[in-house]
Amino acid sequence: MLSGKEKQDKLIRATDLDALSCRLSTNASSYFSPPDVYIPNLVESYQSYLQYCVGYSSISAGRVLRSSFSRKLPLINKGTYLRTKSIDLIVEKFVEEFKTCQIISLGGGSDTRCFRILDKYRDGVTYHEIDFPESVKVKKLAIVNSDVLSNIVNFKAERVNVSSREEFQELTPSLHTDKYHLSCLDLRHISIDSNEREQVLEGIDSKIPTLVLSECVLCYMAPKENEQVLKFWKNFCKHFIAFVIYEPMSLNDSFGNTMTKNLLERGLNLLTFNHFPNLLARKEFLADECSFSRIRLTDMSNIAGYGTSNLFNPWIEPEELRRVSQLEIMDEIEEIKLLLEHYCICYSEFSENNAKTFNGIDNWSWIMAVDK
Amino acid sequence: MELDTDVPMEDVEDLKQAETGSGPDASPHNNTKKSDLNPSTVGQLDEWIDKLSKCEPLSETDVKKLCDMAIDVLQFEENVQPVQVPVTICGDVHGQFHDLIELFKIGGPCPDTNYLFMGDYVDRGYYSVETVSYLVCMKVRYPNRITILRGNHESRQITQVYGFYDECLRKYGSATVWKLFTDLFDYFPITALVDNKVFCLHGGLSPMIETIDQVRELNRIQEVPHEGPMCDLLWSDPDDRGGWGISPRGAGFTFGQDISEQFNHTNDLSLIARAHQLVMEGFSWSHQESVVTIFSAPNYCYRCGNQAAIMEVDEQHNRQFLQYDPSVRPGEPTVTRKTPDYFL
Repeated sequence: MLSGKEKQDKLIRATDLDALSCRLSTNASSYFSPPDVYIPNLVESYQSYLQYCVGYSSISAGRVLRSSFSRKLPLINKGTYLRTKSIDLIVEKFVEEFKTCQIISLGGGSDTRCFRILDKYRDGVTYHEIDFPESVKVKKLAIVNSDVLSNIVNFKAERVNVSSREEFQELTPSLHTDKYHLSCLDLRHISIDSNEREQVLEGIDSKIPTLVLSECVLCYMAPKENEQVLKFWKNFCKHFIAFVIYEPMSLNDSFGNTMTKNLLERGLNLLTFNHFPNLLARKEFLADECSFSRIRLTDMSNIAGYGTSNLFNPWIEPEELRRVSQLEIMDEIEEIKLLLEHYCICYSEFSENNAKTFNGIDNWSWIMAVDK
Repeated sequence: MELDTDVPMEDVEDLKQAETGSGPDASPHNNTKKSDLNPSTVGQLDEWIDKLSKCEPLSETDVKKLCDMAIDVLQFEENVQPVQVPVTICGDVHGQFHDLIELFKIGGPCPDTNYLFMGDYVDRGYYSVETVSYLVCMKVRYPNRITILRGNHESRQITQVYGFYDECLRKYGSATVWKLFTDLFDYFPITALVDNKVFCLHGGLSPMIETIDQVRELNRIQEVPHEGPMCDLLWSDPDDRGGWGISPRGAGFTFGQDISEQFNHTNDLSLIARAHQLVMEGFSWSHQESVVTIFSAPNYCYRCGNQAAIMEVDEQHNRQFLQYDPSVRPGEPTVTRKTPDYFL
């Protein structure tokens, strides 16, 4: 039997299936251009190995996968596209500006951005992914059993065969190559000295520009833990570090209350949702608690031109927005606006003695900006 | 009993209407068909309504019978169906059956209260089949007490994206019931005119329609087209910007206050009542009270947290809004209900 905390963690890990199934559906509806050819590898990996994860049987894994991988509504496809695309834009700009740099993705699970970036930028970029051990194993198996993915991350060793729960448990979760590092760590324990943490840090170069990505990960951690995670990285990569955080926020309204209730029904407790209910609260947290020097914030509705401000330029080019708007009938205009208003992208950076800054970040419109 | 007295009254009214004639529609066929509402038909309908009130779907055979009966009623209604006051005007329901039952509690039971629904009975919610079956049953049972207009979701194409098609497959094992209903939707009237003063429709105005008479000339018995006046009436939205604009939905237009005021002036109207858009308070005025949006699905899609509303119009044309929240659903198995999607 799983303890209460184990159950909770299992449910949090399962949100990666939500994100993956959204990407799968979005890709199937042709939103991503070019199409994301890596998604099927991750889906297959879950189909093979979810049954060996803690708290699953082959029957329950099958049930979870069937119900997860269903077709999504147009507003979910479009929202997933916007989330993926807007963060891609920032990452690409960052890599192009700094050339030699590293990306650290926190709790990215089965995200495929690492493959896109490493495939597009063959030199200079190192990509780190950190997640729960099981999520890391599922991803590792996807990589080592695919020639395409192995090739992208420069993994040369043999394929790994896992066909039982025992083999899955015994599998070493991490995977390290010269440009890609997949490691496991419970981020809630990041401020505690541990072997796991040392292993994660081994591959990280604190002397090069670093971009940390966190998409719907910090929201499951207490505000104090949020602060610990951000400060830990900030202190470790003092040279130059930037954060891109994508999170839901409650706005203290009835949509937010309903979201809290709905997710609690699934056993998911969003710990920052009401604590940082809006952009202002997030700005104060990043500026005052975490002492970042440069902060940019926007909700997601503006990014696609759903916002009301005329001063805000959509992040996506008009031509691309037109292409995307023609993919599906979109009879959910009010709803998608409402949903996107409850998600934000927060950028913040720190550099010792203000030696460096990411100029490209002002390539896009933001609702709030702080420069210290 | 109220119900008993209502039956002959209904019949008398139906006959009267058929005699006074609604143009070419007042055919002998119409007369014959309407008088089909004999005691056994009434009994049958009441039985179906009873069953549906418990949120139990009808059998496929009964849906077939119901749709045949409904076609016989709806095909004789007009593109601009005349409606008398008092009437309670309602917006989108979207398969939220329990909230529809709540609506009838708030507004008073039909046929004691006259109702005008402005479309979007199906899709999104989990009980589109029960919702549309129930409303169509009520329509056949009390044809002069309830008017059901067509919304943009009463369409073959949209229902395949937004849930009604999948729900029919799930509940009946085949697409037969979906086909029966979507075929029936072609007969739904597209607009209504309350006492010649309040023009009611699902979406909004069309640049190709200046007068209500132009709506009367449309051939509405077809799938909702991708463009043109009929499409616009079901898809358009009022907007803060003046004139006509491109709709972000990809169908219909946006129209400004100048357009609404001109239309109301030309047609001697006091108000355009429409649905189609989620509004957080359940109703929302626009264009200096020349347009009202009414939305009757509380906590839309189990996600939006909005209130719902209906609008009562009395004999003196006074308007009153009744707002309501999602119904408490003791019978509903919330555990098995899938949580709506978020970005996680």
